[in-house]
Amino acid sequence: MYKIWLLFDPRRALIALFVFLFALALLIHFILLSTTRFNWLDGPQMSISAPQNSALPAPKN
Amino acid sequence: MSSSTAPRPGSLSGLTDEEAREFHSIFMFSFVVFLVVAIIAHILAWIWRPWLPGVHGYQTGMLDHAHALVGHAITFLT
Repeated sequence: MYKIWLLFDPRRALIALFVFLFALALLIHFILLSTTRFNWLDGPQMSISAPQNSALPAPKN
Repeated sequence: MSSSTAPRPGSLSGLTDEEAREFHSIFMFSFVVFLVVAIIAHILAWIWRPWLPGVHGYQTGMLDHAHALVGHAITFLT
């Protein structure tokens, strides 16, 4: 198994691995922050969906 | 074809067999450390909030029992 380092340059492989893992971790953390259940900063948010369009003028017939 | 212990200046990465062996041991040790930390983080996150809901949502999931099981396992291990 160690012979993989005869094929791939360890320096480039390490940089690629670190960049990939960092990007993946960042992606997962932001996805979790965008959810209600797994947002660890604000906690569960009550959905305020009813009055979203209430400021719009009533449609004219 | 050289033997496995002879230096390989002609290898694609430029490493000799011995250097590759040494780097591999460091790499695997670091990988195992990373894996253990990740497993502990996942166990803690699962205890905080399991992420696999049942068919009727999170409240009635069968994995709630798994949640309790993980809690018991943690208390048993510590």
